[in-house]
Amino acid sequence: MKKKKIGVYICHCGGNISDYVDVEKVRQAVEGEDIVFLAKTTMFACSDANQREMVNDIEANGLTSVVVASCSPKLHLLTFRNVTQRANLNKYTYVHANIREQASWAHSDNKIGATEKAIHLVKAAIAKANYAEALETNKVKALKSVAVIGAGVAGMKAAISLSNKECEVVLIEKEPFVGGRVSQWDSLSTTTETGKEIVNRLYNDLITRENITICTNSEVISNKGSVGNFTLKIKKTPRYISTSFHPEDLKKAIEVCPVEVPDEFNFRLTPRKAIYKNYPGEYPQTPVIDLKNCTRCGACEKVCPAVNFSEEEDIIEISVGSVLMATGFDPYTPAYGEFGYATSENVITLPQFKRLIDEQSDTLVYKGKAIQNIAYIYCVGSRQAKGDNTYCSRNCCTSTIHAALTAKNKFPDINNFHFNRGLRTYGKQEILYADSLRSGDIYLQSYEDGLPTVTIEGKKTIVKINDILTNGKEIEVEADLVVLVTGMVPRADNKVGTLFKLPKGRDKFYNEIHMKLRPVETVIDGVTIAGACQGPKNIAESVNSALSAATKSYSIISKGELESEPLVATIDPDRCTWCGACEAACPFDAIMKSEKEGKIIAAINNAVCKGCGMCAPVCEPDAINVTACSSTEIMSMIDALV
Amino acid sequence: MGEINRMSAKILVFSTEKISDPAIDMAGLMKLHYPPTVYTISIPCSSGIKPSWILHAFEKGFDGVFIAADGSDCVYGETCTEKTGALVGKTHELMKSNNIDPARLRMAAICSVCSEPFVKQIRSFNEYLLKTLHA
Amino acid sequence: MKDSLKSSSYDALVIGAGIAGGEAALNLANTGYKVLLVDKELSVGGKMIMLSKVFPTLDCAACITTPKVSEISRHPNITIFTGSEVSNIRKISDNEFVAKVTRKPRYVHVEDCTACQLCEKACPTSVRDQYQFGLIGRKAAFIPFSICSPKAAAIDIDNCTLCGACERVCPTHCIDFTMETETNELHVKTIVVATGFNLFDPNNIPRYGYGKYKNVITAMQMEREIAPTRPFHTILRPGDGKVPDKIAYVLCVGSRDATVGNPICSQICCMYSIKQAQLLMGALPMADVTIYYINIRSFGKGFEEFYQQAKGMGVNFVKGKIGRISEKENGNLILRYEDINKGKLQEAEHDMVILSTGVLPTKGIDGLFENETLTLDQFSFVGQSDMLASPAKTSIGGVFVAGAATGPMDIPDSILSAGAASSEAISYIIQHA
Repeated sequence: MKKKKIGVYICHCGGNISDYVDVEKVRQAVEGEDIVFLAKTTMFACSDANQREMVNDIEANGLTSVVVASCSPKLHLLTFRNVTQRANLNKYTYVHANIREQASWAHSDNKIGATEKAIHLVKAAIAKANYAEALETNKVKALKSVAVIGAGVAGMKAAISLSNKECEVVLIEKEPFVGGRVSQWDSLSTTTETGKEIVNRLYNDLITRENITICTNSEVISNKGSVGNFTLKIKKTPRYISTSFHPEDLKKAIEVCPVEVPDEFNFRLTPRKAIYKNYPGEYPQTPVIDLKNCTRCGACEKVCPAVNFSEEEDIIEISVGSVLMATGFDPYTPAYGEFGYATSENVITLPQFKRLIDEQSDTLVYKGKAIQNIAYIYCVGSRQAKGDNTYCSRNCCTSTIHAALTAKNKFPDINNFHFNRGLRTYGKQEILYADSLRSGDIYLQSYEDGLPTVTIEGKKTIVKINDILTNGKEIEVEADLVVLVTGMVPRADNKVGTLFKLPKGRDKFYNEIHMKLRPVETVIDGVTIAGACQGPKNIAESVNSALSAATKSYSIISKGELESEPLVATIDPDRCTWCGACEAACPFDAIMKSEKEGKIIAAINNAVCKGCGMCAPVCEPDAINVTACSSTEIMSMIDALV
Repeated sequence: MGEINRMSAKILVFSTEKISDPAIDMAGLMKLHYPPTVYTISIPCSSGIKPSWILHAFEKGFDGVFIAADGSDCVYGETCTEKTGALVGKTHELMKSNNIDPARLRMAAICSVCSEPFVKQIRSFNEYLLKTLHA
Repeated sequence: MKDSLKSSSYDALVIGAGIAGGEAALNLANTGYKVLLVDKELSVGGKMIMLSKVFPTLDCAACITTPKVSEISRHPNITIFTGSEVSNIRKISDNEFVAKVTRKPRYVHVEDCTACQLCEKACPTSVRDQYQFGLIGRKAAFIPFSICSPKAAAIDIDNCTLCGACERVCPTHCIDFTMETETNELHVKTIVVATGFNLFDPNNIPRYGYGKYKNVITAMQMEREIAPTRPFHTILRPGDGKVPDKIAYVLCVGSRDATVGNPICSQICCMYSIKQAQLLMGALPMADVTIYYINIRSFGKGFEEFYQQAKGMGVNFVKGKIGRISEKENGNLILRYEDINKGKLQEAEHDMVILSTGVLPTKGIDGLFENETLTLDQFSFVGQSDMLASPAKTSIGGVFVAGAATGPMDIPDSILSAGAASSEAISYIIQHA
């Protein structure tokens, strides 16, 4: 092996590292190593100036390998690989050392310890660089098609955007109808269009496009493959009604259906039939029979010939280059008794209230009682001091004020009392808050440690608060209706997330790689996230993220081919005795028996191998190593770390 | 080594690029402190760790080895947990035959947001190692 | 305008090279389109490149921007004009816009400049440094700031005495006083407006004493004081160079305030103030930091947790609007405020006050267009013609808007908004080919 000439760069990270790690000491500790040709410290390793300096250093000195000790490789491994590439050095000769997240920050309480650790981490990286080889990336064919999962507004917009870019799209929706949460809202702030109208506008655009396939009532049940070529199995549940239905017959069929179940579309405020449509203009236009609740009494079949119970479940297989997740959120469900939820007759959630005011006209009535005083209790299920949901749900303040204003316009006799924890009508939404104050809504703000209480006294529901805005005076309101302003939580049904192994953040929503650098990408290559499945968002924010995700998914596959890491398992033919253990261990069927120079040994299919290394420990004769993670490299790193 | 570090054990952590690395990075971001003599080597998947690496670490002077396993979150498939379990079992046997206390090898599933569990695990492992090795 | 009128064609014009414009340009360029990225400043990077660290991850702003800036500068599909302005945009057809781009002379040949700073040392003229928000001075021959891109000197001709000292010391002879304004005629298929925002000028609220009391500074000035590329080596108050130990933040300066003509919330000030407070607690462990607020709006991903973390670190949050600030002889400041939790008027003494100034629109963007009207919203931000379903669309087909040009926005939202604008722009080019 030719002796290496390694360049080492130790980043101050503008103080993030150098405030705790003595970077100069680190530099001195490694510069004397035999294979280290030069060692430098730099204020920002990732800056343009330093990148240029690195290129010059590599070219001028014929460096064979580069180590940068800076932040987590999640942020800048690719940045520095590109630098080496620009200096005509193979990018796999680059080795990264993380001395920020794993040294300066983790040990900010112990500068000597942090420095000592950084020295060892850099030495380990140098040891690894000593064995780093030039590798050729594998080219993988990328299908110019994307599966968009979830046909809410985010998913529909992403699909349209991809279609515009001449990309094939399969839009998959678990529910029988498209539109997601937005179709449940009538009036929206900042526009005269209703939620349903926006959904219908998008749907009418979608169906004109030849390159979009819409699958409703469909679920992804399996996923194989990886970026460039995912193979998904989709289970399509039949509607049991043919598309050539006669509207009058169908109306009758719905009428005669004897089954009544709580209507999830109306957040269980009202019942619906087993054969149903959520609202008249809903898409697709064909209603659906909910077989889980259907008693198969046959009443609908008798009045409507389009009903067809012989339709069968269909499983289709599709292959796509990228997957865009837009699975949305669930509204928080309060716990039993939380602010009187489920224990008091007149406590409902904000989504229920929005449905209620959409459905009613003239006077606002709930459970037969005319409503005058409405108490809105904010941050239910959000900003919890005791529960899991420590986050703010972002959109509920504005949504509540908008709903309260809408209600007041529609039912002028009502009084709105807002029991809040500090209003968060950020940006231009502030105007709505000002409008609300002007309309006479009353705002009462609780202390952080003294949330409002709901008590039932006979037939009365009393909401009490120690109000900051009036010096902590205890104020009580007798409410005819208590609206719990429930926040956004991740979807309870996370089957599809589990299928793709999508990681979740602290808030349990899907997690992006980096909020600012790679906000719509996940650690699963080729899978992007859009809309409220990544965290609470309003409609415009969801659409922005959907279009960003569409651009990202498109850019991954638009060239028709992509590079994959050449990190694969390799077989040492001298050691291999073919026992088959590796073949059994491989989850990707990448290993098979083969013959080489008369000897039966294992062979790796590089196009399929993902480099996970599962085959390596099971090999008795220790004939398997994974590129860049070989025993030689790992052991030399261990030697450097001690 | 500085005075301040005497009280911590040398622990080698095998961590995985996609699952446990983010958790360990986030522990740093959240300034959750753990002993600075804990070193991480990143690998693609915890089921790819060779027992020989672990034995090598003990031979070279590490007090403990901690496997931050992918658990059921592994991106390479469901068999990861079982396979990591198997290699840990095999290593424990090898440790016993080499007169190394098997408790010096620990494993726990660390998911991508398990920063606090990671730090807790490491602190308790450190305490165990200090008690048994440096008492 | 003699023979300097050059004509050139690109697929897309991106106006403004801040984080939104840069992101939009990169998305377009990575998809294979040729982009001209224009910024009126001498460096790309917008406001973000000037920041210290960014909430809620506390990554240094430079760690996020510099690699992006570096990628933008190097991208074969991106051409950058700094110190340049776009005007006279005309829509000729659905796939053609014509615009004028005026490049003001830098008086330095950027490609030859090594940023050795000898010209800076030689220049005898000192003026207020706009890139350090007036905290310190700079020369008339100067490198804008340490991580600027292009990293090259520039001559501030308005303040230059034409003494020639810089020219004489320049080792590469890259200073050239014969450079002239260059006007380009530009043909593009689509336009992304990413012109960002302005900060409220606190001189408009005299009762806070900004400009009069030296120890009252803006949050952007504090941003520079705590940035890694900061002008001083520590945090100090400008009045006497003392290290402050009782620091106050006044939120909603020029926001949520109809009396100064800006009734809306600026969306970022709560969070940047909380971030600065955390950084100050780290840098000056003995200092007290108090934040005077109306409502804390920590609404984004990880923001509420970040707010709670600041409380846990000991940052003092006081619900109250500041009435007036007055100065004591020793330079300390007396804040009169209504403590809303206690329900009474209070006074507090601090040795440094930071005004968290709000976000205002960049004026005059509608004036860039000649034969079409770019509609603005009621606050003079660029209007969104289909705000919910296509937030990046403007009143002109083929012109899209990204980032804070549409209204106050934090960095993650600006990046997503830029993603949307570039997505629409790419679709527009394909659909109108």
